Order: sequence, then structure tokens, then C-alpha cells
Amino acid sequence: MGLLIEAGAVLASSLDIATTMGQIAQLAVPDLADLCVIDLLDERGAIREVAVVSGDARLGLDLEELRRGYPLDPAGEHPVARVIREGEPVLLARMSSELLRSFAQGSVHARFMIEHDYRSAIVAPLIARGRTLGALSALRLGDARDPYGQEELELCCELALRAALAIDNARLYSDLRRTERRMEAVLASVAEAITVIDGEGRTVYANQAAADLLGFASPAELTHAAPGSIMPRFLVLDEQGRELDLESMPARRLLMNGERPGPLLVRNIVRATGEERWLIVRSSPIADMEDGGVRYAVNVFENITQVKRAQLAESFMAEASRVLASSMDYDETLQRIARLAVGAIADWCAVDLLGEDGEIRRVATHHGDPRMLELARTLDRGYRPRLEDPLGVPEVIRTGESRIYADIQPEALAAYAQDSEHLRLLSEIGARAVVIVPMIGATGAVGAITLVSAESLRRLTPADLALAERLGRRAGTAVENARLYTERSRIAHTLQQALLPHSLPEVPSAEIQARYLAAGELNEVGGDFYDVFEHGPDSWMLAIGDVVGKGPRAAGVTALARHTLRAASMSGQSPAGMLQTLHRALRGQPPDADLCTVCLVRVSRSGGRLALVVALAGHPPPLLIGADGETAAVGETGTLLGALDPVEIVERELELRAGETLLLYTDGVPEAGRAEGALGEEGLRELCRGSGGIPLAELLERIERAALRRAAGRLRDDLAMLAIRGRGDARIGER
Amino acid sequence: MSVGEHLRIDVRREPDRVVLGLHGELDLLAAPHLESELESCEGEGNGNLVLDLGGVRFIDSAGLRVILAAHQRAGERGGRLALTPGSAQVQRLLSIAGVGDRLQTIASPDAVLV
Repeated sequence: MGLLIEAGAVLASSLDIATTMGQIAQLAVPDLADLCVIDLLDERGAIREVAVVSGDARLGLDLEELRRGYPLDPAGEHPVARVIREGEPVLLARMSSELLRSFAQGSVHARFMIEHDYRSAIVAPLIARGRTLGALSALRLGDARDPYGQEELELCCELALRAALAIDNARLYSDLRRTERRMEAVLASVAEAITVIDGEGRTVYANQAAADLLGFASPAELTHAAPGSIMPRFLVLDEQGRELDLESMPARRLLMNGERPGPLLVRNIVRATGEERWLIVRSSPIADMEDGGVRYAVNVFENITQVKRAQLAESFMAEASRVLASSMDYDETLQRIARLAVGAIADWCAVDLLGEDGEIRRVATHHGDPRMLELARTLDRGYRPRLEDPLGVPEVIRTGESRIYADIQPEALAAYAQDSEHLRLLSEIGARAVVIVPMIGATGAVGAITLVSAESLRRLTPADLALAERLGRRAGTAVENARLYTERSRIAHTLQQALLPHSLPEVPSAEIQARYLAAGELNEVGGDFYDVFEHGPDSWMLAIGDVVGKGPRAAGVTALARHTLRAASMSGQSPAGMLQTLHRALRGQPPDADLCTVCLVRVSRSGGRLALVVALAGHPPPLLIGADGETAAVGETGTLLGALDPVEIVERELELRAGETLLLYTDGVPEAGRAEGALGEEGLRELCRGSGGIPLAELLERIERAALRRAAGRLRDDLAMLAIRGRGDARIGER
Repeated sequence: MSVGEHLRIDVRREPDRVVLGLHGELDLLAAPHLESELESCEGEGNGNLVLDLGGVRFIDSAGLRVILAAHQRAGERGGRLALTPGSAQVQRLLSIAGVGDRLQTIASPDAVLV
């Protein structure tokens, strides 16, 4: 029994088959046998001796040599071959020379057995899981001891069984090792980092990609790292920038809580270097075959940094462009840009603009942490950069070239600081990397954007620099546009103010409304004009006109037209006469001077009635809208002014009754939308039809909206309307 | 042939006239383009100009100004300027401007100039 217990220990301790077999055979000698041989069937079905143990070492060696020369025939009569074939043990208590000769593999073999006095033998099959793997032979030589009996047979069988199990296990193990080696070869060559974690948090397997990703020289170094010592090397954040701990990692949730977590996208920053990566972490369980419990978790890390960066850069630029386009107030939009940049690119962001006076003005500072923001502002106030300063923002604005300070050392900071207080503040900011990019417009740098990475450990990379430069160009263009727009709209507004009446005079018994919209660039001075002024006692003049062209030259003609008409009015001329005067004034201009079309309406109040005189000079006839909503064009065609002699003008007289409206308009109204979808005169009439009850201001607004709709919001010509409506409450002597 | 922003001008030189075939929109933006084309053929075709407006969809007062200036210059040199009828919008503008009957209109670019 002691022997079998000893055998169990041997079997458990070694998995190398030859060694194990030798050790088992050793157990049989000398107590059980003088000679013990273990034969195994190899893959080709040949019988191969794997262990020979004898009290006489010489005998053992000779037998091994003999077996090499005379291998056992698996189909032969040798007891080992028979036992292997039949799977039943054989007890040969007393073997005669005849018997030995009967199964010997030839005469040499027979002579060997007879000479060594083979006397008693047991051959037991090595059976595991129903398969005979080989045989264990025990032999007693000479007649010093009793022949084998039943008891020894059982013992040998037991020993053979143990040996068979050991062989089976060893084979399984070596198969497993082979599979494992193949798996490792496969895993080592995949790009994804793969680790296997056990229930204690130990990394039991890692491929080279995993070692590279997690900052170890080799997979072995990684698997020897203490549990929990790997995670602290990194700052791990989720997509929203919240820090994640070990407990939220998929492997941990899988092993500890038995969850089946989905893939996790993390932003992983190497604390030592500041390198940032975007990883998708997937964990799958390896369940125990017996109880189904999870023993291991397989982690697969997919590095999607490039894709994620590009995606983030695009969405950042899209958002930045949207913000920049949202308003012409660039101080405000730049503050929003700074907020946007914090988080997306850096820990803090500042925007400086170069003023016309050459001063550098900080228009935006943002930091995620209010305390640091205050610090940054203190720094701004105390140490404003001057354009002539050699480094930093002034340098970038002067040269128009960006600067990246990737790894800021204390010495560099000391060299940059203006004094010790400055250095103290700069150190407290804790900048690790700084990127300064110019904001470039068509005329050069209008400012600079400064991005700083500090406590988040993130390192600003060349990719960040490229993104920041794009932002700088985009913001520069926006600032320049806004400045130009502001400047031009200021000029345009001033001019327009001078060209249009500040307010319309009150005309008793009538309501007057006007509407004006300049085309295209909202800041260009248009060529349309209108005017309302007193012509005499109880007499007023309504004028609307269209000067050809746009810009300063048209503005000049507009002013000339308005003032000439007013002057002519004062000299008591009739509408037709006034238009002739304006024509002569225009012809008196230098050659190729602008021409203009005008509709002039004199309104005279007499006896509670409003009498109108309409005169047209190349201008669309006004529409008379009856109280019943019917419309009619009023006036005779007359020659436009400033082009051809002679100018022919015909005056038409009519009465404006209560509820009736006369609408004067410029070409821009019916022609909004151009030939294809133009409102047209008919469209205009349609809008006016049945408008008797609608307040006059509302009617004009409705027409303007319709015209804008036709023009899809983009007018190509100015649009002016002037309307007078009879109130019907007029009595003599009343206003 | 030359192409402006949205006005195409085909120039055809005949012994007794230069025909400018206009296609597109003759507006504030296109007017300088027509002006320079007119300058380049000044004095040719016996001083006679025909503006073929058959392909003009839209004209505004700036376009009209160029036509009127050409009309005036042709007259000063003893030549003539004639138009072919354009779209309804073109006709309307010429009519409202009160110049429809001041400019000679011919049925086709090769019709007799009076």
C-alpha cells in the first residue's frame, strides 16, 4: 500500500512521461521485481520501451540495447504485445525455456532471456479512459524468490493503472501546452492588446501589444506586476471627462460582481508622459468547466485614438464654426470659443486681440476650475503682454506663426517670467504644455489663441496644434469679417440716415407709412430713396425713386435727387416741372452720370378731400387700392431722368377717398426673386387686393415679407415702399 | 464669346453692323461686362449696333443705363442702335422707363436698320 501512495506522489509531481515511467518502474525494483519494464504504444502503433529498471544496471542497459535491435512485434506472441492487444493482465508464474523461446523476437532475444534466467513474470496493461496505452512488466530472475502470485498481479495492475493515468494526464497536459503555445503565438501577433486577469486581480497573461500599451518592456514584466499596481499609472476618464476607478473597469465588474459589462470607451492618459489614448475595453469571462463560476476575464483593448481624435476635431470645428457664425459680436463669440476649447483641447484657453492702437487686449479666458480661472485673470491683469515682447503671444501675433512648448521646464518658465511674482503665478498655473496659434485674417494676424494643458496631465500634441491652427484661421476670419461688417454697417447706417427722412410729416386726413430694405450686403448704401415734405399750405409732396447703381456714387445721386426735388418744390413748381428740373440737374453732371427714375405725388387737401397729382419719370406707376380692395395702376408713363432728351412727363389727377390707399413702390418689390419666381406686378396686386381693412403698416410689412420670401432672403435690389391712405375723418379746419 | 457672372455675350461682326447676342441677366453685376464688350467693338460695323435681347431673362435700370449710353454714343457718331424684343420683363422695363419708343426695335438681328 505504501508503494501506491508513493506512486501517487510521483505521478502528481512530474508530468514528463519518460521520467515518470522511470520513477514508477523504480518503485517496483527491488521489492516487487528484479526487472521492471514499461512499454508504450507510440503514435504509429509500435511498441516502444520507455523505462527499464533493474537491480543490475548492466542488465538494464543490455536490455535497452536488445530492444533497439529486436523491437517487439505488436502482432506477435510476446506477452507485452498480447496484453497491449487484449487489455488483460497476464501472470506467467513459472516460465520454461520453451515458453521463453516461443515468444522471443528471434534467437538472440531468446538466448538473452534464458541467460538472464527469466523465471516469473507479470504483464499488466496500462489502461486509461478505455484505451490501452502500453504495458508494465515485472520480472523475477532466478529462483531466489517465490514465483509471482495473485497478490502481486493485483499490485502490478494497480501500479499499471496509476502509470496509465499519469501518462494520460501528461499527454493531455502536453496537448494543452501545445494548444496554449499556438494561442500565444496567435495572440502575440494581433494588434489588439490582450490580457487575462484572474479573480485576485493578477494579470496571468498578456501579449506584447498589451505590454506596449500599458508601458511594460515585456509581457512577462506585466504579468509579474502586483495586482492593482497597473491602473494607477494612468488617468482613466470616460467620454464626458469623469475619472473612472478600478471598480468601473469591465474585467473588475465581471470578476467581482458577476456582471456582463458591455464595451467601455475610455480616454486613457499616461501619467508619466501625458500621452493620451482613446481605448475601447472589452472583457469576456472564462467560466470554470465544473461550477460555471467566472475564474478569469479576458480584456481586449482596441486603440481608436486616431479615429476618435479626427472625429473630435471635426465635431469641435463644426461647433466652433457654428459659434463664430452665430453673431457679429466677436467678444462674445470668442468667449464661447474659449469655453469650447477647454475640455476639447486644453485645460485653459485665452484669446487675445490686437487692437488698432497696437495694444494686445485679452477678450476671453476660460478654465474649468474657477480658482485657476481667477489665478489666470490675476496673471492677465498684472502682466499684459506688449506687442514688442520677444516671446509668447506678441511673438505669434508679430510673426503669424504658431508656437508649441511641449514640455515646459521650470528653467524655461524662469527665463520667461518678468519678475518673481510673475514666476510664482506662472508656476502655480502649472502649465505642462502651451500652444499659441495666430488668428489669421486676410490682412494678417488679428490676435492669438493660447491653449494650455496643466493638471489634466494631457500633453498637447502636433495633432492638437494642427486643430488649434484651424481654429485660429477660422476665428481670425470671423473677427476680421465682424470688424469689416461693423465698420461698413456704421458707414452705411450713417449715410442712409442722411439719405432718408428722419420722420415723415403729418398729413391731416391721411396716414403715411414707408418701408425700406437695402439689398444684398446689408451694409451697402442702396440706390432707392423716398421722401415726404411740405409743398405749400395744405399741400405735401410724396417722392419715391430709384437711382441706378449702389455705393457712394449712387448715394451722391440720391442726395442730389432729394435736394433738387425739395428745392424745386420751394420754387412752386408742379410735379412735372420738378421732374424736369431734376433731369436737367442730372444732365449737368459729368458724362455717364447716373440716371434715376422717380414717382412724384402731390397731395392737396381742400374741403376735406385729398386731391392727388401723380407724375412718373421712368418709374412703375403706383397702385390705387380701393376701399373695396380693388387695385388699379395710376399714372402715365414718363421718360426716366438723366438719360435722354427731351423728357416727357404727363400729370394725372385723382382723388384719394376715405379708405383708399395709394402705394408707391420701387422695382425691387415686384422684381424680388427675379424672372423665375418674381412676385411680379400681378403678385403685388394680389397681396393688395382686399387689404382695405388691414392697417397700412401691416400691409407694407406683408408685402415686404412676401418679396423677401420670393428672393429666398437674398434681395438683389433695394426695396422701397411709400403709401398714403385716406382717413375719411377730415373736415375743414381740422387737422 | 465671353462670359460674365451670369450674362453671356456672343459678338458677331457684319459689314453693316455688330450684333451682340445677350443671354442671361443684364443687371447691376453684368452691366460693366456689357460696357466693356461695347467698348471693344466701338466704330466697327459701320457704326451700327444691334443688341439681340432674345436671350435676356432679366434687365434692371443699370442694364438699361448701359443700353441708353450706347444709344447716345452711336447717335453721336452717326450710327444706329437697335434692339430685338426681349422677355416680358424687358419689354415692361423699357416701357415703364419711357424709352420704348425712343429705341429702334427690329424683329430679328439681321432685319433692316432704318
